[in-house]
Amino acid sequence: MKIKLQPPLAITLLILGFFVFVPMISAFEYSIRTPLTGGYGWTHYIWAVTEEDFLHYILRSMWLAGVTVLITLFVLVPTLTWLHLSNSKVRGIIDGLSLLPLVIPVVAFAVGAQISFPEFVQNTVLELPFLYFVLALPYAYRALDIGLSAIPLKTITEAARSSGADWLRTITSVIVPVIRGAVMATIALTFALSLGEYTLTVLLHWDTFPTWVTYVAQENILGAIAISMMSLILPFLILTIITLFVPERSTQGRK
Amino acid sequence: MSSKSLTLSNISKRFGSVTALDNFNLEVGVGELVALLGPSGCGKTTALRVVAGLEHQDNGTVLVADKNISEVPAHKRNMGMVFQAYSLFPNLTVEENVAFGLQMRKVNKTSRLKKAHELLDLVGLDSQSKRFTHQLSGGQQQRVALARALAFEPEILLLDEPLSALDAQVRVNLREEIRRLQLSLGTTTLFVTHDQEEAMSISDRVGVMNNGVLEQIDTPDALYNKPSSSFVAGFVGTMNRIPAQIADGMVEIFGSKIAALKRGNESGQVIALIRPESISVIADSATPNAKVLTRSFMGASSNIVCQTADGTIVQSLMTSASTGDLHPGSSVQLRVLSSEVLVANA
Amino acid sequence: MTHKVIEEGAPTRGRAFLTSFLRNFLPATPLLLIVGFFFLFPIARLIYVSFLSNENTFTIDNFKTAVQEPYRTGFINSIKIGLFSAALAAFPGAIAAYFIETRGSSKLRRTIAVMSGVLANTGGIPLAFMFYAALGIQGQLTKILKFFGWDLYAGTFSLGSFIGLLVVYMYFQLPLMVIVFSPAIVSLRREWSEAARNLGANQLNYWIRIGIPLLFPSFIASFLLLFASGFSAYATANALTVGNLPLTPLQIGGLLDGNVSAAQLNLGKALGVVMIIISACAVIPYLAIQRRSARWQKR
Repeated sequence: MKIKLQPPLAITLLILGFFVFVPMISAFEYSIRTPLTGGYGWTHYIWAVTEEDFLHYILRSMWLAGVTVLITLFVLVPTLTWLHLSNSKVRGIIDGLSLLPLVIPVVAFAVGAQISFPEFVQNTVLELPFLYFVLALPYAYRALDIGLSAIPLKTITEAARSSGADWLRTITSVIVPVIRGAVMATIALTFALSLGEYTLTVLLHWDTFPTWVTYVAQENILGAIAISMMSLILPFLILTIITLFVPERSTQGRK
Repeated sequence: MSSKSLTLSNISKRFGSVTALDNFNLEVGVGELVALLGPSGCGKTTALRVVAGLEHQDNGTVLVADKNISEVPAHKRNMGMVFQAYSLFPNLTVEENVAFGLQMRKVNKTSRLKKAHELLDLVGLDSQSKRFTHQLSGGQQQRVALARALAFEPEILLLDEPLSALDAQVRVNLREEIRRLQLSLGTTTLFVTHDQEEAMSISDRVGVMNNGVLEQIDTPDALYNKPSSSFVAGFVGTMNRIPAQIADGMVEIFGSKIAALKRGNESGQVIALIRPESISVIADSATPNAKVLTRSFMGASSNIVCQTADGTIVQSLMTSASTGDLHPGSSVQLRVLSSEVLVANA
Repeated sequence: MTHKVIEEGAPTRGRAFLTSFLRNFLPATPLLLIVGFFFLFPIARLIYVSFLSNENTFTIDNFKTAVQEPYRTGFINSIKIGLFSAALAAFPGAIAAYFIETRGSSKLRRTIAVMSGVLANTGGIPLAFMFYAALGIQGQLTKILKFFGWDLYAGTFSLGSFIGLLVVYMYFQLPLMVIVFSPAIVSLRREWSEAARNLGANQLNYWIRIGIPLLFPSFIASFLLLFASGFSAYATANALTVGNLPLTPLQIGGLLDGNVSAAQLNLGKALGVVMIIISACAVIPYLAIQRRSARWQKR
């Protein structure tokens, strides 16, 4: 039964849309202004994209985000699978631990991080993916936890194992495909969080794409706006379009 | 408030391109328990929800006694409804749940809690009155739901597959309880289910539905012994379908000629519909016409599945004593015990 | 045929105990190690150092300073902005979530969920730019409002003021509310409103007796999370204010960046610890309420 766009819903969406898009469009309009010629153009975007630092920082942030995603998946998927299958007493503790990063404000975490790690950790940018992992943990853990709870995990694991698969194959070929939705959601939110993480990164004096934008703002405000727009609107549009056009795979019937 | 009769006239309901009910007519007499039986999607739940006012019919009327309630909103219809599951309010205790209908009718607290306890007593759950939904088992929850639906003495009781979500044993006990309560209170009841054993065992009449249409409504006996269509015959109980030749109102089955019900002087190929208990299997016969495929021992009776020379599978239900020496592969003679058979088109 | 992952009944003797202990623990080690080193250790160290004086002796002086001016005002402002931004976003967010979840198509709901996810994480410079462009002194919306007679900047308003910050915070607080509150709406079963109607309750009665009582705990929990979000926000406040508005996250950031007053090296740590305490006062009840609500919210 199709539910048509009812008046209260339409009004809600209209108000929300206004609230969400007016700032976006205003900033976008700013970013395509060309003060020198008096009209509109893509000058600032072209400038931004051709800045050599642009590619450098975008790639840097992306690979940091990628590493974070890898850490998240490689650590959480096996651990959660084991937790679900083994009914270990540790599960309660780990469940609680996974929520702890929510309690700690990022600023406080940054202070702690700055004074705790030994030299070799502080000096490598690789400390960031691990820190991002911690920041994303509450969300990633929960997404995967829910995904694993929604499937007959014990049954399919036993079926796979009794057919001769070792643990690696069971996880990669059997379990992960079944919880594909949860895995995708985890990848998306971890990647997005890492890509956009600013506070921790800047307080630990690292330079990634978000912090670079701040630096650019001091010299070329319109260029910085253009960059901000790209980093904001592009993921927004892409994700929205993907969601609109990807058919939903329902794994369980909903009442 | 005493019970009233319920009449549905020419009810049609469509959801998009799907016709859920097609000119549906039904009458339930005062104090009667009528079951609507049918496969998923046959429209039985839609019919019930139209009666409750939770769906609005496209055409037709709903009458309670003589009053047309077709446009009366759901919350004013004074009917008690039991849903399949999860319908108890989680923030209220059991007794508050049961008293809810009375609370909506502005009955004061003492009186309505007293009445709630009366009903909880009737369903044997008075001791659980201060508990919450999540602390009860599925069967207990449904009993509370039943008490809640009956607390305000509704004119009509509606049950939407109330037992489908429960374990087999609980189901059997609870359906007996529902019937007992219904009889003692004399409430006009409409009961929707897809389980034919459930419908047949407790109803005064059963209406078999298919594709939005009521195929046959009759007492359980009549439905079983005189199904009016092939669908009803197959849906209610097990039915053998044996191809046979008909001529002059007689069908030839297993070598004998038997009268065909409701057929004229036609001739040709038909399907004879015969219940397993009307077929007997004879061992060591001089004129065998089938081979035994399997024998299922079910205690007092056994189910013998045989195959005739032309490949037709025939099921027979006999006492275990009389079939003791039958085993797969035995040659047997099949015989029809009744003197007349139902016949459907080939 | 089946392969049991864990044995029943923990043995208590010697080698068997060790194996059982390892089995119960070992697979969790990678996670525990990472979380332990990269998270628990920094926090523990933070708490430890906050009690150290410049000479590395035990002291509570850091905390004493932390609750005096100007940090006291910082805390008050931060708490205020947390409370106000939560209060402003909670009702509209809840109502929006209600209409979206109950009347929206499956596609619409998913799209909004994704959009909300992106918007809830918006902050810092990009967000500041957007609002400068819209509501800044030369902003588009400002011009339109002026045209209709409302001069935003007639008084003391500026985006870097408390009110300005509040408005900007709405941009991520509202979506956050939608995200956090939607599950509660979704778990309101259709059977409950139908049963209520069947029992004689009109819409109002249903909401008063069933709907709102069921949603209330989740609403409070969501409010608490929003408070923590507004209270702890750093990037956006940093981008918009110019030092005129004392806020705890900014003060800590300032201390970290090297504007360390030689007087108290570990002041920032103490501020951080107090921040954690305040945040925990909101987030822990949030988690507790959500856990309780999960009982009837299970689908």
